[in-house]
Amino acid sequence: MGLTLNHFLVLGALLFCIGLYGALAKRNAIAVLMGIEIMLNAVNITLVGFSFYNHVKPYSTYLTGQIFAIFIITVAAAEAAVALAMIIAIYRRRSTVDVGEIDMMKW
Amino acid sequence: MALYDYSWLILLSPLFAFAAIVFGTRIWDLSSRPHEEAAAAHEDAHAVEEQHGGDSETHAEHNGDIELIETTGPHGEKIILEDLEDPKVPQLTTGAKVSGYLGILIMALACLYSWIILLASTGVLPIAPPLPPGGIHLSAISYTWLQQPGPTANYLIGFRLNNLAIAMMVVVTSVSLLVQFYSQGYMEDSAGYARFYAYLSLFAFSMLMIVFAENFLVIFIGWELVGLSSYLLIGFWINKKAKPAEDRLSPASASIEAFIVNRVGDVGFIIGIMILFVNTGTFNFADLAGPASNPLSVAHNFANNQSLLTIAMILVFCGAIGKSAQVPLQVWLPPAMEGPTPVSALIHAATMVAAGVYMVAVTFPLFASAGPAAFGVVAWIGGITALFAATIAVAQMDFKRVLAFSTISQLGYMFVGLGVAGQVYGPGPGMFHLFTHAFFKALLFLGAGSVLHALHHAMHREVQDVRLMGGLAKYMPITAITWLIAVLAISGFPFFAGFFSKDTIISLAFDQGNYGLWAITLLTAGITAFYMLRAYILAFGGKGGSFGGLWGGTYRGTGEPHESPTTITLPLILLAIASILAGYWTGFFSYIQPGAPNLNIVEVLTNPLTWLGVVVSLIGLGWAYFLYTRFEFAAINDFVQRNALLRVMHRILLRKYYVDDLYNLFIRYVVLGISHIEQAFDTYVVDGLVNGAARLVVTVGRDVRHIETGRVQTYMVGIFGGVVVLIVFVFVLVNFVK
Repeated sequence: MGLTLNHFLVLGALLFCIGLYGALAKRNAIAVLMGIEIMLNAVNITLVGFSFYNHVKPYSTYLTGQIFAIFIITVAAAEAAVALAMIIAIYRRRSTVDVGEIDMMKW
Repeated sequence: MALYDYSWLILLSPLFAFAAIVFGTRIWDLSSRPHEEAAAAHEDAHAVEEQHGGDSETHAEHNGDIELIETTGPHGEKIILEDLEDPKVPQLTTGAKVSGYLGILIMALACLYSWIILLASTGVLPIAPPLPPGGIHLSAISYTWLQQPGPTANYLIGFRLNNLAIAMMVVVTSVSLLVQFYSQGYMEDSAGYARFYAYLSLFAFSMLMIVFAENFLVIFIGWELVGLSSYLLIGFWINKKAKPAEDRLSPASASIEAFIVNRVGDVGFIIGIMILFVNTGTFNFADLAGPASNPLSVAHNFANNQSLLTIAMILVFCGAIGKSAQVPLQVWLPPAMEGPTPVSALIHAATMVAAGVYMVAVTFPLFASAGPAAFGVVAWIGGITALFAATIAVAQMDFKRVLAFSTISQLGYMFVGLGVAGQVYGPGPGMFHLFTHAFFKALLFLGAGSVLHALHHAMHREVQDVRLMGGLAKYMPITAITWLIAVLAISGFPFFAGFFSKDTIISLAFDQGNYGLWAITLLTAGITAFYMLRAYILAFGGKGGSFGGLWGGTYRGTGEPHESPTTITLPLILLAIASILAGYWTGFFSYIQPGAPNLNIVEVLTNPLTWLGVVVSLIGLGWAYFLYTRFEFAAINDFVQRNALLRVMHRILLRKYYVDDLYNLFIRYVVLGISHIEQAFDTYVVDGLVNGAARLVVTVGRDVRHIETGRVQTYMVGIFGGVVVLIVFVFVLVNFVK
């Protein structure tokens, strides 16, 4: 028995769904951001899982998934910084971080 | 042969005159015109700027209210003019006069040259041999306009000279020259003098193009150019208003009417040309009329399909119906009288209406190879028109309108002459009447112009109603005597020009066994004599005059008319001489068509049919003489009005058999009705489709835009929902669709 690829995939899918729920359902912009972060990490788990259980391709290519995961962590950090900055800017102007009220780009 | 080879100079010289006046002397005229008074300058600008359309329309709106304006006459006296008149200029500028002299000089040279060619080709002047029967091709100005691969279907701008063209060319240049000379006096105080000469030159050029045309292509170009020139000249007095009281259109409307009615005939003309061209591959008259061995000839191509050729020739004749004002397209010619009188003379004698007759004469062999119906249509349209127009002329009060209907009637004679002539005579008899008619009809019109000119100076307004004339022979003897000569010539009085040409046509109708047409033409001859002498007596004679009322009588107008100046009377005298002598060209028939029997004067005079014709015209003349010299015009009118039958007849004739009214109703209710329906289709269906499509897009957009909430989470639901849908779709596709 022990850990199989399916465990990683199920964990990734669960985390993704939890993150998606947070991103879609939360009113608070920071909670939405957190949901997005969870989704990104769910993807990271999936990538690393695939990478670990890949024995078909030569060694140099089955590190690709892990390198991808490192890139995503880096980009997620930058994204979090930008998103938080935007949320602060919106809060200063409109005194709210409720995404339901940030709807100026409509018809 | 060099004499003939350079005849293209005659064709191009009026065009040169037109260009020289338009680009040279007319600009000089405009720049040398005085501009002291702003108002006068404004009036001039109206006349000179060629604003044919818009201005006259707005003027026509408030016609009827006569504004009298005071102006200074050419001799410094105060005169009162109606505002209905064309703008007058106190004095012509040097530039304007030079334009006139240039036009006259060039036309005089062209006229001289064409007479030399005529005399040489008839053998009178032994400087050149007569032309070969087929004429000569003028290669100097002919060229291929469009070359198509293959042996046929080349579009040639080709010109040729033959005897028929020479006879016509002489008429055109002579009448044009006399009209231009005459216009010096007639148009001396009219604004736009230089422009007038430019148009006259253009008119002569257009007609000469028809005369020299070697094929249908060139004749059609000339045909349309003649239409354009007549449009420009009929509408020359663009500021003149309509006179509803006298049943007269404004010149602008009349010119548009002439143009449009001609288009109706031209539709048939161009379809006829195209039928010929599609089936034979050539426009060339000589090829079309060639023997059956020529693969381009109609005899070769229509051998099994003569009825199509007949239809094509009848359609070609439609063009002549329009241009020569035959029934049912005669309506444009009487309103065309609104143009200056010299223009009427030119249109009626040599250029415009003669084009139709000349075209049928040129295409005579094609008509001959078509079925007998083609010539039947030509002859019967001509005969009906002759009688129809002659009866209308009896009741007309307008001096020029009588002449207009007499022209229509005489053109009918020409078509009868062409239609009944048969292969032996060819186009000779019809062309002979055209030739003699040109001189006496030009004389009648120029004489009428002389009368109008005198009355204009006597009464200071435009008078064309015969009820305001009478007894003018005492005041203007030269005009009267020359007019009388023309009246006798057109009435077929023995030994005058019209006698020979008209009698030939009438006796031809009899000889060909066409007794119906013979009776119609004979009756028309009597009516013609009646109404022409009636017009003469009403204008120049009357009760109480000498020679039993023929010379002088009561003058019913006001003022004191005077004889016109020499520039006007000299052309009258020359034309009067031609009106007597033109009939004595006995070799005309064989000149036009080699082998045709010549006019034999002794035979004509010993033929009892001739004397029957003479008796009929004498009855007409005598009846007019009896009626109008013994009674006052008003008394005759009273008598007609008291008798119910005569009153109805008079009314019908005065209204021209209600043809104009019928056309007006037809246009108003049928043509405009269809137009309104089409407009509604355009507005509601075509525009509706376009607008509806736009409106649909707008409506859908307005409703659908509510999807755009502006909330990021809604979009996210869309994105991920879409992903889920895609996944389900792919899953189903992979697992269940094999």
